Amino acid sequence: MTSIITWVIRVLATISLVAFIATATEASEWPSWRGSLQNGFSNETDLISNWSTDGENLIWRADFVGRSTPVVFNGKVCTNGRTGTGKTKQAIVSCWNAENGELLWERHLNVYNTTVPFNRVGWASVVGDQETGYLYAHVVDGRLICFGEKGQTVWEWRLGEDFGRASGYGGRTHTPILDEDRLVLSVIGAHWGDHAGPPRHRYFAFDKRTGDIVWIAKPSNNRPKDLNTQSPPVSAVINSQRLLIGGYADGWIYAIKARTGEKVWEFHLSQRGINTSIVVDRTTVYATHSEENVDEGTMGRLVAIDATGLGDITYTHEKWRVNELAVGFSSPLIYEDRLYVVDNSANLYAIETTDGRIAWQHNLGTVGKASPVWADNKIYMTEVNGNVHILEPGPDGVKQLDVEHIEVETGRYAEIYGSFAVAYGRLYFTSEEGIYCLGYKDKFVRGKTVLPELVEDPAPASTVTSLIQIVPAETIITAGDAATFSLRAFDRNGRFLREEQATWSLDGVRGEIRSDGTLTTDDNSGNHGGKVIAEVGNLTATAQVRVTGPLPWSENFETGRPSSWIGGGPSIQVVDEGGEQLLRKGPSPAGIHRHALYIGPESMSSYTLQADVMTTVQGRRKADVGLINSGYTLDLQGNHQRLEVRAWAAELRLGERMTFEWETEVWYTMKLRVDAEGSSSTIRGKVWERDTQEPDQWTITVEDPMAIQQGSPGLIGYSPVNVFFDNVSVMENQ
Amino acid sequence: MNRKPISSLPIIRNQRERVNQIEKNNRVVHVSLRLAVIVLMVITTRLNVLAQERAMFGISPSRNMVSSDTGLPRTWDIESGENIKWSAPVGSQSYGGPVVAGGKVFVGTNNEGRRNPKLENDRGVLMAFDAENGEFLWQMTHEKLSAGRVNDWPLQGICSTPYVENDRLYYVSNRATVVCLDTEGFRDGENDGPLTNEQTTEAIDGDVIWSYDMIAELDVFPHNLATGSPLIVGDILYTVTSNGVDEGHLNVPAPQAPNFIALNKNTGELIWESTIVGENLLHGSWTNPAYAMINGTAQVVLPGGDGWIYSFSAETGEMIWKFDCNPEGSEWTLGGRGTKNNILSTPVIYDKKVYIGVGQDPEHGEAPGHFWVIDATGSGDVTSTGTVWHRGGDDFYRTMSTAAITDEVLYIADLSGFLYALDPQTGEHFWTYDAYAAVWGSPFVADGKIYLGDEDGDVAVLKTGKQMELLHETNMGSSLYTTPVSRNGILYILTRNQLFAVADGVSLDKTNDDF
Repeated sequence: MTSIITWVIRVLATISLVAFIATATEASEWPSWRGSLQNGFSNETDLISNWSTDGENLIWRADFVGRSTPVVFNGKVCTNGRTGTGKTKQAIVSCWNAENGELLWERHLNVYNTTVPFNRVGWASVVGDQETGYLYAHVVDGRLICFGEKGQTVWEWRLGEDFGRASGYGGRTHTPILDEDRLVLSVIGAHWGDHAGPPRHRYFAFDKRTGDIVWIAKPSNNRPKDLNTQSPPVSAVINSQRLLIGGYADGWIYAIKARTGEKVWEFHLSQRGINTSIVVDRTTVYATHSEENVDEGTMGRLVAIDATGLGDITYTHEKWRVNELAVGFSSPLIYEDRLYVVDNSANLYAIETTDGRIAWQHNLGTVGKASPVWADNKIYMTEVNGNVHILEPGPDGVKQLDVEHIEVETGRYAEIYGSFAVAYGRLYFTSEEGIYCLGYKDKFVRGKTVLPELVEDPAPASTVTSLIQIVPAETIITAGDAATFSLRAFDRNGRFLREEQATWSLDGVRGEIRSDGTLTTDDNSGNHGGKVIAEVGNLTATAQVRVTGPLPWSENFETGRPSSWIGGGPSIQVVDEGGEQLLRKGPSPAGIHRHALYIGPESMSSYTLQADVMTTVQGRRKADVGLINSGYTLDLQGNHQRLEVRAWAAELRLGERMTFEWETEVWYTMKLRVDAEGSSSTIRGKVWERDTQEPDQWTITVEDPMAIQQGSPGLIGYSPVNVFFDNVSVMENQ
Repeated sequence: MNRKPISSLPIIRNQRERVNQIEKNNRVVHVSLRLAVIVLMVITTRLNVLAQERAMFGISPSRNMVSSDTGLPRTWDIESGENIKWSAPVGSQSYGGPVVAGGKVFVGTNNEGRRNPKLENDRGVLMAFDAENGEFLWQMTHEKLSAGRVNDWPLQGICSTPYVENDRLYYVSNRATVVCLDTEGFRDGENDGPLTNEQTTEAIDGDVIWSYDMIAELDVFPHNLATGSPLIVGDILYTVTSNGVDEGHLNVPAPQAPNFIALNKNTGELIWESTIVGENLLHGSWTNPAYAMINGTAQVVLPGGDGWIYSFSAETGEMIWKFDCNPEGSEWTLGGRGTKNNILSTPVIYDKKVYIGVGQDPEHGEAPGHFWVIDATGSGDVTSTGTVWHRGGDDFYRTMSTAAITDEVLYIADLSGFLYALDPQTGEHFWTYDAYAAVWGSPFVADGKIYLGDEDGDVAVLKTGKQMELLHETNMGSSLYTTPVSRNGILYILTRNQLFAVADGVSLDKTNDDF
């Protein structure tokens, strides 16, 4: 039992900390989903204890539908959500003036090449960079976009088409974080070269200004247990190493060096993927999950890990545990010597960091998804069923200061999955029914948090280079174009030492590379992929390069599957069928039967894709087979005997179907043409029996008033039985 | 925008206000205790005849969650051991059972209990325990389907509650096989057939009589997991197939596969199948059939994965009537925010009426639902004519629960944690109890008490009747996703990872227990 005296000491310590920070700053910002300190704590004081949807302490509210946590920086509040109905369903990223709610900018984003449904769009929180003013958003379909101060695109990757990111259905999308000058994000998938093979959980670090890939890390080759997980990593300095520590889809917690992606330690926590962030206090990591534990037949655990270890520390560095605490979605809050966690059933627990003793618990509702936030000696917390709680925690219990209930127009509760953001003396949260700003009407204090530095010991002068790193670690260029690579040296602690001169060479890339790291590819080298290699002494680093030639392209698989085609999974391979080389997509030995294979860069626009296709049959099982062009899919559906054009499988945005009788064991030729003209596009599909005269007329034509402007050509199959492709070609629109 | 202060809403999370609100809404209705006792005795006598030979989800083929058992405990406590007769660890997640028959308790769980140390991987497991002392007897295990979560969700075990008839036990495995076992397993030293080529025949193993593979035979595509608690009447076994959508949740990959089947209980041969739902599947087909003889016609009532409920001729599979459990204009929306629902509950047939609620995958969230009472004497599409009464909107939320009807009161719970007492004839509301946690299981009624478990691991004991009276509430240490049952004065409670036997007048020695 915590004594009152202990509690008073704790509160006094808090006051001291707050006073210290308050003297350094006027107010704080909340640029990342768990706040500047990455643990749900804000140093703000004099915050509201109650509010009302009717107006009390409600500063402003804006129409918006979202399920992530807003970020507040540089005077604006920004978040990620969804908008529209029917054909106009889209993702949206918006920024408002944090003081008065004036809309500063919004970007509507088409969603495509995904099976995530509309109401899960915008699950990942955005992150803001106080230095550049940039905002970064990860959309459910895998677009990773860096927005400038006015909402313009600074750089973008399409992680599905570029890196084989698996979509999944669940929609739990990784929230990007900023660490030094890197934007860090993880995806599950596989692409090509060193990153080919079955889907794995990989981390990507991008240069926050340019989007260049700094490193790609795969801490383990374990099979992901879930395709959608959310466990944004936390930065920490431990043993004079700057680390990124987070939960992965294989159920492990990994600590990797923040500047190189090298693994330092690993801890096996769960038999399933991890969907909560960890928190760090000095050298202790606190992690939670709600699935099966790895060492006994129970579910859920909160664990304290001594984070100073190396290698597998599962059975050597656990400090204490609270078993059967099912905290699977809500990330912990740490303040002073207590953790505050919310279980899946929306029970809030106060837990001593010293030994895991539960001091008290309090019911908040029935579904716990959001994460608690501490500010002004209060806990601010949302519950999925439209409930917004303000609590005053004490030594032995908690006082409910306020609870408000928010509904949508139909009278149903408004979903709230996101957590509070605290900044400028205000509180912000996003719901299905709007974004809210709460606070005292006369208080708005603009300022920035002075972050406690993550201090590392400087590298001694005698430090030797342990690792060299080529940047960019992967790139896509057009044949004939040039690219420049740089080489960075790091010591064994992952500390940057210097830019390094290297001996450069190429493996598989058709062109030449100069001694300064400048690559020039041959004009007529066509589509291919290979490696850039740098050597310094006995150290070697590689980077992957995809080169694309001018259209037209054709592929008959006589020399196998092109090495730089992206994704598709291991069930897609070239096989010899009666002396003919065909690309076969077979039934998946594990996992799902639906895969897409991307065969060019996502920057392509207004082109025509053609391929021969054939499917088999077994019992009542038939396959679907089709083409992808610029985010639009045309496929033949076996069980349903129809032809379909769609832009978003889960929503059938633009879904246009027609009855189309076709047969298994018969070869057909499919052609898909997209013309993007201004803000609209025309999608034309054609199917005919192979080796017969191509019909003049298109079989199906669809107009999209909200054009997807560009996208990779691709092949798609749903294959409970074998599907075959041959004679794939991509050409300019005629 | 419509924003209301929380105090005026029925889903209040503030405990005091929530209770006050409910009390305000309650109507006090006097009940004749004498009449109630007489009716209870009559029902008790009738159900005893049925219950002696068999056990199943929902006590009887009508699936009414009411037992004739008496002498059941009112209070217990797992911390002190009060009234805890025994407990036994199972897996880490348990959704099947418990059912009790022939002195054994059967549960569906996963393999995290590692009862057989030789089997280390994830499996669906059916366990048998001695009902008197909790001794583990044997288990049947099924490896997971290689497809993974799309067809056989990891670590969810066997979600089918077995049907037991004399020395035979029937269930649907995680591999979408309908399985008939010998209730003695291989402990009796016999390998009963026709199937006799089991890979393992040790005393710990289950003895398979026959097995019917719905994927191999019918090309069924179980969505996420095959469930279904079979029902047997005469020589025919009825079950749903769990056929559903693919991982994208929009495409029905096997529209030609059946949603309902009837098998010969002795051989496992297919008698009839129905593909009536076809492409209209919303998510999956995970519920259970109910049976009754109505106006001389044997009806098997099966909720479809399309939100309709169907009645078939039990013998031929010919449809008798169907009813759309979603109001006109309802909209199905992927991810759970729509107004159209599918059916996860089991229908109860009572007094020629069918009682059924709609719901969705709990991951889709809480939302207004519907509870229907349907006249089961009609034919054809009775959507517009068959409604006896209906409760929905803010008065009833999405549910996975099955009703219990006795003594002129109907008890039904919803996912939001509310237990409603209603008039089964008119729908008149008597009272609402708030569990303050999600309810996946069903109210179990026996001995004048209602037992209700919730996700927080609490079991509430309430007094039956038209006035609410909470007799006891206790925490079982882990979530409940199942429904308590009783036999011979013993209450059996299956939490996520423990099976408890609870009875008056016993006290477990806490120095040796393992819970």
